[in-house]
Amino acid sequence: MDSEIEVISLETDVLIIGGGLAGCMAAIKASEYGVSVTIAEKANTLASGCAGSGIDHMWAYIPPVHEKMGYTLEDLIESHTKGIANGFINGNLIHFIARETYNRMLDLEGFGLKFRYEDSKIPGNFRIVHQFHSEPSAFNFDGRDVKVNLTKEAKRRGVNIINRVTVVELLSSSEGHVSGALGVGTRESKLYVFKAKAVILSTGRVNRLSRSVTGVWGNHRIPVNETGDGRAMAFRAGIPLINMEFLSPSNFSIGNFEINLGSPRNTTQPAGSIVDANGEIIVPRASFYNWEELEKEKVKTPGVSVKQEPLSPRTRQNYFQLHNQGKGPFYLDLTGGTEEEIRYIEWSISQEGKGFFFLDYLKNQEDFDFRRDKLEWLPNSREMAGTAASGVVVNNDLETGMKGLFAAGDEVGGVPWSASPGAFTMGWHAGEMAAKEAMNQKAYLDIPEDKISALREFYQGFFKNKEGLHWREIEMAVQNIVDHYAGDVRTEKMLLRGIERLKNIKQNVSFAAENPHELGRCLEVMSVIDNADMVLRASLERKESRLRPFGFFRADFPQENDDDYFAFLSMRLNKNQIEFAKIPL
Amino acid sequence: MFKPVVFNKRVCNGCNICVEICPMDIFEPHAKKGHPPSVKYPEECCYDGVCFERCPLRDKGAIKVIPPLPMRVSILRGDV
Repeated sequence: MDSEIEVISLETDVLIIGGGLAGCMAAIKASEYGVSVTIAEKANTLASGCAGSGIDHMWAYIPPVHEKMGYTLEDLIESHTKGIANGFINGNLIHFIARETYNRMLDLEGFGLKFRYEDSKIPGNFRIVHQFHSEPSAFNFDGRDVKVNLTKEAKRRGVNIINRVTVVELLSSSEGHVSGALGVGTRESKLYVFKAKAVILSTGRVNRLSRSVTGVWGNHRIPVNETGDGRAMAFRAGIPLINMEFLSPSNFSIGNFEINLGSPRNTTQPAGSIVDANGEIIVPRASFYNWEELEKEKVKTPGVSVKQEPLSPRTRQNYFQLHNQGKGPFYLDLTGGTEEEIRYIEWSISQEGKGFFFLDYLKNQEDFDFRRDKLEWLPNSREMAGTAASGVVVNNDLETGMKGLFAAGDEVGGVPWSASPGAFTMGWHAGEMAAKEAMNQKAYLDIPEDKISALREFYQGFFKNKEGLHWREIEMAVQNIVDHYAGDVRTEKMLLRGIERLKNIKQNVSFAAENPHELGRCLEVMSVIDNADMVLRASLERKESRLRPFGFFRADFPQENDDDYFAFLSMRLNKNQIEFAKIPL
Repeated sequence: MFKPVVFNKRVCNGCNICVEICPMDIFEPHAKKGHPPSVKYPEECCYDGVCFERCPLRDKGAIKVIPPLPMRVSILRGDV
């Protein structure tokens, strides 16, 4: 029954691949131009992407607040560029994101999200905590329903959302203009042929390159169905990508249950601190921003805008180093917090990611209370660095190396830690640009029939492949290669060996699937393999070490080499050869 | 190996919202209307708790998500 793949053909002015924050924002904006818009989503837009189960905060420059504090937009951009990204950032894009985030916040408010609170004394009734930047730039809000609200808004505007389809290939004309994409249904045996006049790639980051440290499959901070599908198909289509070498070493976080509460200066502030086995404070707690005594806050550190050091890479503790000094175990400690602070933190946790479930689990399955108990800080799994650090190269209008193909959110390379503000702003802009591009295109471009039938045959083969392996078996082997050869210490010889072993897998191993669901997982592992290859090859090309901001270390080139490598390394596939180039910063 | 999601069949009304939204698509709806879904792919659960978060009968105990032993947090208990 499952072996017959049905071909479904669709035409849409704008096709959006991946309906997370960026994809949904793009769809909403594009719909304003009267063009037809389709989102192809591998899960369900109601709960998909990095913010699938909510976000509690975003950073923004909010003029009515920050102007009063005496901070300019330039201060914030400088703080992000120097303090967080160590200069490793696309200046134009971070300018654009910082400038536009407040406008997108207002749009999100219009879509029903709550940003203002009666108990707040800050102009606009916002809630602010210190995070990311020297300036108090992180805004807490009720964002648990962000994907529900964005989905409703997109549907209200007539956006066509197709869930449970994994897009696998970008299509282009002989002149190099995007003409659509091919996708595979993961609930029913269907091959989707999307004809489109403009396409937006917004599939997010790549996960599952590394084993989960607890051994439990799926236990990663970032959603594990984000498998770098966009990067993989962009790479195969010859589109340049950057920063693919920056697979970060693991750090410490809330032990075992991997959750995005990264650090005490993250969702557990203002009361969260980290203590060691002797009760010595490793990372001190922060405090609520004192708006009522703004002048006093300013006087505290005259001439310096930093009042509370955010936990940026500059200040992040190296827990492994401390552990090697015999300082462990470490604990997240909120026990010094006031009732008001603990309630605030619990509210904030409940809005973001797995937090809602995590809090319930702590209370009802572990009898845990932040007022009384401490949570152990343990190593977490490795991941690609800094949200939109690595990814597709785009110009100022978010167009990629393929005409008519745009990218947004974590798909984009070169704007580390732009995170949700990056997704909101880039998504919106990509939606506008793609709609305008579609309006300029007269007709749909033809998609060669032989390409469709070849792909149909290829995937059909997965259902009949008696020699093939289960996707999980292949994934484990690939993860072992990444963890060993592109681990915390890399060298030329190790990387070459890793590339060789991965090549063997690619050439000699085939997948088997019993049904469309398993086929979907196979497609994910195929993306993981392409991404792993990019990580290994880009790591080989960067002949230096660069600990900040991405923790990149080559034992054979232990020094940072600004003269030769203070640049994005771009890689693209050209006639089966990988070409590298440096993009100066 | 794992039993990530357990439904209380006396409370769950089989609305299948969890089936629709699960990012990992691990559930299968029951053949009969009004019955809880089954967990067809328990090994693919990512423990994000979306099914729990969005369950309309969550507060009545229709659904429970149980992290497996290696994922359970390590707690330093304070004085009561």
